[in-house]
Amino acid sequence: MELIIELLLFIVPLVVCGLIIGRTVEKNHFAALDRREEANRDFLLSNSKTFPMAAAGSQEPTMVTSEVVIGSDYLKSFLSGWRGIFGGEMKSLQALQVRAKREAIARLIDQARAQGYNAMCNIRVDGVTVVGATKQNNKMLMASVLATATAYHAATPGSGTSSHV
Amino acid sequence: MIVTNTETIVGYEIIEMKGLVQGNTVRTKHAGRDIAAGLKNLVGGELKGYTELLTESRREAMQRMLAQAQQLGANGVVNVRFTTAAVTSGAAELYAYGTAVTLRKIG
Repeated sequence: MELIIELLLFIVPLVVCGLIIGRTVEKNHFAALDRREEANRDFLLSNSKTFPMAAAGSQEPTMVTSEVVIGSDYLKSFLSGWRGIFGGEMKSLQALQVRAKREAIARLIDQARAQGYNAMCNIRVDGVTVVGATKQNNKMLMASVLATATAYHAATPGSGTSSHV
Repeated sequence: MIVTNTETIVGYEIIEMKGLVQGNTVRTKHAGRDIAAGLKNLVGGELKGYTELLTESRREAMQRMLAQAQQLGANGVVNVRFTTAAVTSGAAELYAYGTAVTLRKIG
């Protein structure tokens, strides 16, 4: 009896903590991502290999990479175990993956901008394994992403210096 | 050394193919990162320790790949790709590979 009360006193605050703080962190992250993507509207993105709208005679292209690992909160990790019994869409994991991928692309843009480029092609976003596949490592729900792209200079509209390769 | 993940580079032509170059690293997290990640698991959000682990792995693997390209006398590496593999003892391998080439500027 005492053990049950003790467990409740311990687990419930953790779960509530996760619920409240986790939801806030996720909401804030999505808001930040929206803001950054809005600010990066002028940056040309594509996953084509042929350097669309490349400007002639500019700085040489270079590869940019970024990594992100995002973990879920306690409650979602716990509940996702139950999903395994009933099947269906795992909305929490889906949100986690979307956050990780959008964050990875936003970081790619930041890096490319910092080096003076204004366009990126051949964007590749891959899920990667960060830790080994042992049983104790799988208790946490997380999404890890490695993104790469090639940054280059694109001709801005109206400048008249574009050369299509 | 020009490095890209495309097969060709705008404004340059490939005049010689030096061959496949590769670099890899197997890394594992230390207990501190694991504990921090466990704590972060309560509230969710970015696991900076693991992100750093991935960044270090990527840097190391790419360094090794570029060193190989240098040895072959190439001045560029194209079509760089990354893959990962889980190793059962709690570690993960990051493998980077690309094609080392000699590039010449055109136009």
